[in-house]
Amino acid sequence: MSEKEPLTLQTLMPTIDQISESLFRETISRAVQDVFKTMLGKTTVLVNTEGSLVADAPAWEQPVQITGQQVVGTVGFIGDISGLIYLYLDAAFANEIASHMLGMSDAELEEAGDEVVNDAVGELTNMTVGTFKNQLADKGFPCKLTIPSILRGSNFSIEPISSATRRIYRFQIGAHQLVADLLMKTGDA
Amino acid sequence: MRYKILTVDDSKTVRIIVKKAFKTFDCDIIEAANGVEGLASASKETPDLILLDITMPVMDGVEMLTKLKSDPALKAIPVIMLTAEGGRDNVLKIAKIGVRDYIVKPFKEEMLIEKCGRILDLKPLNEGPQKAKSIFDPATLLVVEDKPAIIQQIQEGLKHTPWKIHGVNTTGEGIDFCSKNTPDLIIISLSLPEDAAFTLFRLIRQNVKTKYTPIFALVVKTEMGAQQQAQQVGFSYIVTKPIEVPELESKIAKAMNLDTSQRYFTLDSDIFIMRLPENTSQTVVGEVLNYLKPKISEAVDAGIVKAVIDLHELKGLNMAVIKLLIQAMQTCKDLALQYTLVGNSQIASECKGFEDTRNWQFHESLADAKASLSRSPAAPAQPAVA
Repeated sequence: MSEKEPLTLQTLMPTIDQISESLFRETISRAVQDVFKTMLGKTTVLVNTEGSLVADAPAWEQPVQITGQQVVGTVGFIGDISGLIYLYLDAAFANEIASHMLGMSDAELEEAGDEVVNDAVGELTNMTVGTFKNQLADKGFPCKLTIPSILRGSNFSIEPISSATRRIYRFQIGAHQLVADLLMKTGDA
Repeated sequence: MRYKILTVDDSKTVRIIVKKAFKTFDCDIIEAANGVEGLASASKETPDLILLDITMPVMDGVEMLTKLKSDPALKAIPVIMLTAEGGRDNVLKIAKIGVRDYIVKPFKEEMLIEKCGRILDLKPLNEGPQKAKSIFDPATLLVVEDKPAIIQQIQEGLKHTPWKIHGVNTTGEGIDFCSKNTPDLIIISLSLPEDAAFTLFRLIRQNVKTKYTPIFALVVKTEMGAQQQAQQVGFSYIVTKPIEVPELESKIAKAMNLDTSQRYFTLDSDIFIMRLPENTSQTVVGEVLNYLKPKISEAVDAGIVKAVIDLHELKGLNMAVIKLLIQAMQTCKDLALQYTLVGNSQIASECKGFEDTRNWQFHESLADAKASLSRSPAAPAQPAVA
């Protein structure tokens, strides 16, 4: 038994390259679905119709399209696997999410201001990235979450450094779209 | 006792969700935005439970938990982790430091309540402040009985009440109903197959939402064994078949802590009216006696100076009713309330037969009584009784 162990360990120890594209897609999909269903009672569908948004495209050549006011939540994960996820929401969707999560009317939300919406989007991103990385942790890639941050604006693009791989996933949630931008560090590849 | 729950999370959103989840329960929520604030609040407030996030600035949840567990004054406070930081190995590592439960976000409010309810004896808020609910308010009653005829009999018998009676035939449907609604009272038939009634009773009691909901057992009068068992288990009341609906109604009202005073005491513009029903049983006399003094004082307090004691529906007199009436009149006199009586001929003639009541004078109708009161406004306590 004990003689075999080193061999088994070596062959079974996964590396980042062994995580297949379909696994990334399934993992992020499940995370988004789980969080939006539990917190907001909403069903999400992964949309892969546009060529540039197909999950395994080398996506930094096709930066995320931004139209109108956006609220972008970011949470990172650091450990045996490291990276960042950006969730892009249009401002109206972000408000809808905040009012639902906090049980506030539109007027109350208006009065409470952007900070409250930012916090709700930050928390939603935290939960999504948590659900994503917890699945990877259970597959042998333990890592920890970072504190969320929020970007707001209507005319910007996020460019990764070249040592990161980028994957973009687009989800349809009711009348709204959600873009998940997954950046993974490739240093240990 | 009001519980204190400390929520430690850097996200205000989560703290608001926690507050919202516990809003209908008898507890206070204290907030902290990181481990340092959390430790400070824990020593200052000694909460009954701590909900703890992991990823936070200044001091994270793992460090706070470790410090908490090494402080003799604080280590006994139960902690539930509420965090997006999951993963099997991670959860196990943190669980070893000493947590009572571990909730991985995203989470539903019901789940949070359910898990906290296993540690704290959470009481829904409507227990206390809402007990002034009256018999005219709507309420939801659940009847779990495999015989549709009995459900129908209860629905038929109580159809004059504002209560909505929902009948189901199986335990499964009963549990399903309780998960979607919060009934104000539940009636379970002990004739359900196997020990289903007792199993259902336990399940309802385990649910935080229905932990204190009154549960009646429905059983055939002669089945003494089952009645005894129901009593031991803690059913709020045993209803025997054949069902006596008026009795059931008054027990339901009592169990739901309803204010039934409006049945007997009303205000008609500036006149206070006390009315006894056709069948004034011993139970009714008891009920009226309970309300008598507070109701009359309340009227006097509101500036009322005239009263009518209306017995026109009453079928007959007995000692209990007479004693009640004497006390009512005495209370009116004590508070300088001018009063008069209304009664049918049966009551009027019965009164002639008793020493205490022989001088009572009755008006034939409420209108007559009111008219007589307005004719003599200045005469205080010129009652029909000597």
